[in-house]
Amino acid sequence: MQALLVLLSIAALSLLASSRGLDPGRFPALARLAASGFLFLLMGILLGPSVVGLLTPGNLESLRPMMALGLGIAGVILGLNLEPRLLRLLPRPVYSAALAHAGTAFFFVALPLVAPLLLTSGLSPQAAVGAAALLGAAASLSSGHFAVLAYRAGRMDRARGLGVALLTMLDDAVGMGVLALALVLGAASNLGEGLGLVCLAVLLGVLCGALLAFLTHSLKDPAELTTVTLGGVALVAGAAAYLRVSALLAGVACGATLALVGGRTAERVSRALARVERPAFLVLVFLVGCAVHARDWSAWALVPGFVGLRFLGKVLGGKLAQRLAGSTLELPPRLGYALIAQGGLALCLVAEYGMLVPGGLSQRVLDVVVVGAVVNELLAGQAFRQVLGPAQAPARAQPDVEVAT
Amino acid sequence: MKGAIIRLGLLVVLLAIISRAQVLRADAGTPVTLAAGALLLCGLFAGKVAKGLGLPRLTGYLLVGVAVGPYALGFIPNAGVKGLELVKGLAVSLIALVAGTELRLGLIRRVGARVALLCAGVCGLTFLVSFGALFAFKPLLPFMASMTVTQALAVSALVATVVVSFSPTVTIAIVQETSARGSFTEFLMALVIIGDLFVMVAFALAAGVTKASFGGGLDVAELLGGVGWELFGSVGVGCVLAVAVLVYMRGVKQELPLFLVGLSFAAAEGGARLHLSPLLISLAAGALIANLDERAGERIHHAIQQAGLPVFALFFAAAGAGLKLDALVTVGPVALLLVGLRGAAIWFSCRKLAPVDDPRLKRYLWMGLISQAGVTFGLAALVTRTFPSFGSHVEVLIVAMITAHELVGPVLTRRALAASGEIRTDEAAGTA
Repeated sequence: MQALLVLLSIAALSLLASSRGLDPGRFPALARLAASGFLFLLMGILLGPSVVGLLTPGNLESLRPMMALGLGIAGVILGLNLEPRLLRLLPRPVYSAALAHAGTAFFFVALPLVAPLLLTSGLSPQAAVGAAALLGAAASLSSGHFAVLAYRAGRMDRARGLGVALLTMLDDAVGMGVLALALVLGAASNLGEGLGLVCLAVLLGVLCGALLAFLTHSLKDPAELTTVTLGGVALVAGAAAYLRVSALLAGVACGATLALVGGRTAERVSRALARVERPAFLVLVFLVGCAVHARDWSAWALVPGFVGLRFLGKVLGGKLAQRLAGSTLELPPRLGYALIAQGGLALCLVAEYGMLVPGGLSQRVLDVVVVGAVVNELLAGQAFRQVLGPAQAPARAQPDVEVAT
Repeated sequence: MKGAIIRLGLLVVLLAIISRAQVLRADAGTPVTLAAGALLLCGLFAGKVAKGLGLPRLTGYLLVGVAVGPYALGFIPNAGVKGLELVKGLAVSLIALVAGTELRLGLIRRVGARVALLCAGVCGLTFLVSFGALFAFKPLLPFMASMTVTQALAVSALVATVVVSFSPTVTIAIVQETSARGSFTEFLMALVIIGDLFVMVAFALAAGVTKASFGGGLDVAELLGGVGWELFGSVGVGCVLAVAVLVYMRGVKQELPLFLVGLSFAAAEGGARLHLSPLLISLAAGALIANLDERAGERIHHAIQQAGLPVFALFFAAAGAGLKLDALVTVGPVALLLVGLRGAAIWFSCRKLAPVDDPRLKRYLWMGLISQAGVTFGLAALVTRTFPSFGSHVEVLIVAMITAHELVGPVLTRRALAASGEIRTDEAAGTA
């Protein structure tokens, strides 16, 4: 019944998001949240156990397979983007710039917030450091969907839009690295076992990626290719969930292996996955929203700090990135303001952390990042106007749909 | 085929590795997603192998499900297969929705009366044979041994209604797989659908009589109300869903597959909870859409057709994984005897009662009526829930029969379609 409720809610929200009643001119913030999928997050919070309670904690527990599948799909898509040929072509300053804006935001958030986490949770310093690192990782991530929409709509120079999108794609590596570190610190009783579990996830992903490349190698029928792709993603995500290791990391390893050894098959798999990307993302954010404890006041107290520090980190990190890559990459002025939107990967990180690291601290991290992501999405619309300048700023919000990854 | 065998082998090796790795972990997580992925992939490649051997792909899906499932190699835990119940419900609803879009008024006018007449004959004769056999086997069936004659007669009638049931899902899946089109195919599809309506009514009546024989009292009004609710309520809810789909398609024009999946979940889950038939709900919805707006029907058909391959592969592989092989051992002889008698009754009734204007119906139709799957499973589970004292024994008997029917039924259905000369191709895109 709970799965039915999830799907009905999503169908209803699809209807709302697509309806003419949701006029971007009249409800710009709501239309923006609907287009980026974050409206589903708010719906999840509303229907979840801590507000209306239509879905109970038991229901959420039984919906874990859907959550694992969503994380696996996100991971494989992310891994497929790590195309070695393209990555090798990128000049070093581009990597430095991505590391600068992501790293600055990471340290701006993780360092100051480690103390309140340690003091309010009463857990070990190791756990608090892991949780603060994950907050930092979530803060370091940015979504390029505003820039993509802007250059598609002709409101931004294409080269600049792509430059922003490239930097936001590269910061995903920082997020994934920190997730691995946080899982090593928190997912097992000791560091060695934690490291072993992360390695197991990666090994599983590599095995499944190689197998998926072989399975899809000679498939010509699009329906068969889609079926094998979906089955492969479900297999890697399911195996990770069954072995209680990270489905996201396994998915990334699977996608990266496929990109490395799959050749042209990887492109076809990527296209097949693109068909299910948005529905899977919407289900995932809905479930992440359901998992929020809206009555955790300590988490609410951390949200202003998280959002404010991240904002500062992104603005300063953007300046630094511009200085490092300004000569090799076309970037807009006030780059930091283009990096405020946080995107869906941050939600994936905290959802994964919450599933694998037991305890209240992972729950608090999830609460802070989810609420922070919604606030950042709303802030991002205003901040992006600073990037476009008064002449290019749109009079009305665009109704385009773009997955905020 | 060699490539498919190698790929299937590699998949099984990977599953064995995952299964072994899990033993080393102290606590296991949820196996549902693993079951979905593994059964989908294994099913697809087993289907290719089956096709290479001249068998229906569906037989490959079923056999590989049995092989990697909890009752054979055990690579997929039982909890994983059970967790796919939702997927099964979704698959049945989607399949029924597609089938419904093919039920045009013209077709019903053309063959409706003749199909209903033949269906009554086939179901009636098969019921009588099964009923007689079950009553005669009373000493051999432990759960009936201690019953009075009246109770044994009532239980025999109840079980016989379940034994009669057909499998619209298998039939529709094989028709999709082979892209069969023509009067024979139309007749077969209409017969299995109408046959299941007959079975639903008969089952409800037999359940009422059985309750009365065990001292529960016979409330005729309640009984008829229940049957009426299941039939007309399902059609009514299907009509409401059809209107909802048409409104959505006209107003929204996007995310149609997602909406249809949500709707099929609603039909499967909500229908079961409201004591309605999910199959009938979706059939009615599909039929109404196709007859009100032909283009909308085609769009739905196309949207679900694209998802047909994964839905069929997963549904039937999961059905195979859920087959309790040990049931065959315990009640095997009686079950196999019933399988033989049912087959003979269907063959005889088709030979004698099928319309004379198409000789193919007399010769081949019986082969398309052997399969049993989802509806029969559902009825068997209902017997367990309604009659806890003996229901579980009946379920074991029925599951043993389904196991046999699932293995031979798809092969026979395909042979019937091939013999009728209506198979177009085996390589239609997005088919089973």
